[in-house]
Amino acid sequence: MIPSLFSGSAIPVLEQVASFTEARHNILAGNIANLDTPGYQVRDLSEQGFQARLRAALAARDSAAKAAASGVSPGAISNLLPPGASLLPPPTAVAPVTSLETVNDNLADLLHHDGNNVSLEKQVAEMAKNQLRHNLALTIMTAQFRTLEAAISERA
Amino acid sequence: MFSAMDISTSAMVAQRTRINVITSNIANISTTRNEAGEAQPYQPKFVVFQTDDSVGQALGAAGVKVTSVETANVEPQWRYEPGHPDAIKEGPRRGYVAYPNIDLTTEFVDALEATRAYEANIGAMEISKDLANQTLRILA
Repeated sequence: MIPSLFSGSAIPVLEQVASFTEARHNILAGNIANLDTPGYQVRDLSEQGFQARLRAALAARDSAAKAAASGVSPGAISNLLPPGASLLPPPTAVAPVTSLETVNDNLADLLHHDGNNVSLEKQVAEMAKNQLRHNLALTIMTAQFRTLEAAISERA
Repeated sequence: MFSAMDISTSAMVAQRTRINVITSNIANISTTRNEAGEAQPYQPKFVVFQTDDSVGQALGAAGVKVTSVETANVEPQWRYEPGHPDAIKEGPRRGYVAYPNIDLTTEFVDALEATRAYEANIGAMEISKDLANQTLRILA
């Protein structure tokens, strides 16, 4: 009952988004720290790769829930799914994505003579966007918890 | 949602590159030799901007990128300094030294303009961030 209470909602998805944005923030902070390191190439976590994996994991969860629902009484669904089964599958289950992108031959950034291609403005902007995504996930999560709390305490 | 920020970022990178080039021009206002140490006056540099459609594809908006940093080819300023090691040894310009022909007024006005453009883009970015935050406030 309790696992399905949380895993049936968007909370696990939001949790993944929050942890991804947190990890990406660390990488972006590393880029800014290496602003003057000769030969340093910009690192990033692939936003597209994360979205693709999340989508695949959600599709897998939905199809698992559907398979469990067919031929079984509705009340048994939550018993069929062990706790955590509806969370993201192991990373090997989906198409491999190179999680740590090195933008080696990317001419979008100016390459300086010391081989460094970090652009402070770009990194700061990415950080701000990342922060907004993090805030978005946390705000929605808070709203969901508030809804659950309202249901538990039987008041609006 | 975030393409406006990408566009502002591209403009900030471009304007900062422009300021770098301007400071290089001001720093080398008395430079009479090139990188190899030969007598050749510094020639002012300038940046060329180009619209960049790869930034912010949404609704025909375009960013900006630095196409190249070009070197001007202007006549140097000739100053009579016979004792200078880079002075011309023979010919009609004997005793003259070639100094870079950099107009400080132009450079400072350009620097001011680039600074204001940079600030304007920061302002636009702040507005974009504020928009996103206001959207979040609907939920909270």
